[in-house]
Amino acid sequence: MSHWVFISALLAFLSLDTTAVGQFMVSRPIVVGPLVGWLLGHPNIGLEMGALIEMIWIGDLPVGAHLPLDLTMLSGVSVALACELAGNPFPRDAVTTYALAVTIPLAVLSTEVTILVNKFNVRWVHLAQRMALGGRFRTFDGINWLVVAELFVKGFLVAAACLTLAHFTSGLLNLSATVLNGRVMEGLYYAHWLLLALGCSAIIDLLVEKKNLFYLILSIAAIMSLAIFGQMKGVYLVCVALCVGFSAVLLFAGKEETND
Amino acid sequence: MTEEKLVSLNPKDLVSAFLRSFFLQAAWNFERYLSYGVAFAMMPVLKKVYPSPEERAQALSRHLEYFNTHPYMASFVLGAIIRMEEEKQQLPPAQRKQKEEEIGALKVGMMGPVAAMGDNLFWATIRPYCGLLAVTLVLSNVFQVEGQYWIIPLLFLIVYNVAHVGIRLTGFIQGYQKSDQVVLTLRKYGFQNAIQGLKFASVILLGVLIVFVNLSVLEKEMGLFVLKLAFFTAIVGLFTFALHRKISPSQMFYAVILFALMLAFWPDLSVPPPQVNPIVSSQPAAAAGNPVEMKPIKGNL
Repeated sequence: MSHWVFISALLAFLSLDTTAVGQFMVSRPIVVGPLVGWLLGHPNIGLEMGALIEMIWIGDLPVGAHLPLDLTMLSGVSVALACELAGNPFPRDAVTTYALAVTIPLAVLSTEVTILVNKFNVRWVHLAQRMALGGRFRTFDGINWLVVAELFVKGFLVAAACLTLAHFTSGLLNLSATVLNGRVMEGLYYAHWLLLALGCSAIIDLLVEKKNLFYLILSIAAIMSLAIFGQMKGVYLVCVALCVGFSAVLLFAGKEETND
Repeated sequence: MTEEKLVSLNPKDLVSAFLRSFFLQAAWNFERYLSYGVAFAMMPVLKKVYPSPEERAQALSRHLEYFNTHPYMASFVLGAIIRMEEEKQQLPPAQRKQKEEEIGALKVGMMGPVAAMGDNLFWATIRPYCGLLAVTLVLSNVFQVEGQYWIIPLLFLIVYNVAHVGIRLTGFIQGYQKSDQVVLTLRKYGFQNAIQGLKFASVILLGVLIVFVNLSVLEKEMGLFVLKLAFFTAIVGLFTFALHRKISPSQMFYAVILFALMLAFWPDLSVPPPQVNPIVSSQPAAAAGNPVEMKPIKGNL
């Protein structure tokens, strides 16, 4: 029980980074996933799930007044659920897919709560204005810390509620596996590979423009050739890609600004 | 000439304002967005510039008006308005009203373009690039030796925050130095070129990621690998088209699961997955092209 309280507090603390404090990206799935996984004894599950969530929702951007899906809660709660289910005799990919499927509605709920809190924050600004005009500058300053505390409490309560709800769904996996004779497990297992494809699509949709499509195909062909004919290891392939990318950044940075 | 004592800001005030700018979005709301954050960040500066509580109250009230921009790029605006408030206090009283209007106009004039630049540079380019780098490293199994799981998240945070804090700090300093001319200096940084370069670098890295995802069957059979890669590319193309049609990733997620479950329940198509022990690490080793390793991991809850 105490570890759920601790995970809730951790998620609440990390979710402050989403908008309120700093935005150092410690609230991103690639950080939250491994951290929660490590605390629950399965860092590899956390890392893989964090990477998958990072990929799929990479294009959900906080532009203008749009609030993206609460990925901190999604990654934290889904990794916690997957770690809890890790003891069951099911393929791990199926378990992680199930945990994600269960947690997405909870993350939507968390986003809705955040929208409500943001609506409520208008009152803090009005109060701050009254304090400023009244010359109560210490109170004006204190409002910032009150809002941060309010967001922490909101994050804690939401995380605790999501973890509790997710915990109650853990039996559902066993039930579906038993009643439906393992077919659900098969489906979830193969969905995992398709979800990796969905992640790649999300990255392409965000980062690849039409003029770069040719270079993507060229890159796949070159990396494939290096992997197959050059028998090059993964680490060297990443290094090659990073060097080419870094050179491209330098090349582009040296060019004259033509647009805007 | 005014009899008021002219004050200029010292580095301590500026450092305090810069550190407070990390709370710019704390009271983010749908009515005035970052306004309270800006006023909160400027508090140490206004305290120094306006010793009189009445004047300070008026200044704070001005900065509580609607303001919305990108939180990182806001440092350019913040630095500039701090300098302008300082300059305003050094003007004769008759000219101060005009300076006040100039400060308001600078905020209104800069917030849109700066937000567009920040959204494009950070949310749509640098963060996805860092995320893509981390994901590629996870799937390439480079650092997933027992006990080294923390390296990838740490690398992600370092690479991202070098750019993040670097641009925030540069923006704040440049804004303070250039005052209302800061808009002209934004152009010289060549953010547009950096975006183009990073997008190209992302494309190269994406090539590695796509090959890694399919590499698990490479050692078994070359033909199967090419077939799988071709099928994967087709699926990716289909999904990209769907995402481009503004179908949300969450909807796509459930559509994928539904499709996979339908395949599993289809009588002749179903192929049972390998019997995997629950405490076995499957994906990273497989993705790296190695046979699946039986790797015990730490105990359950």
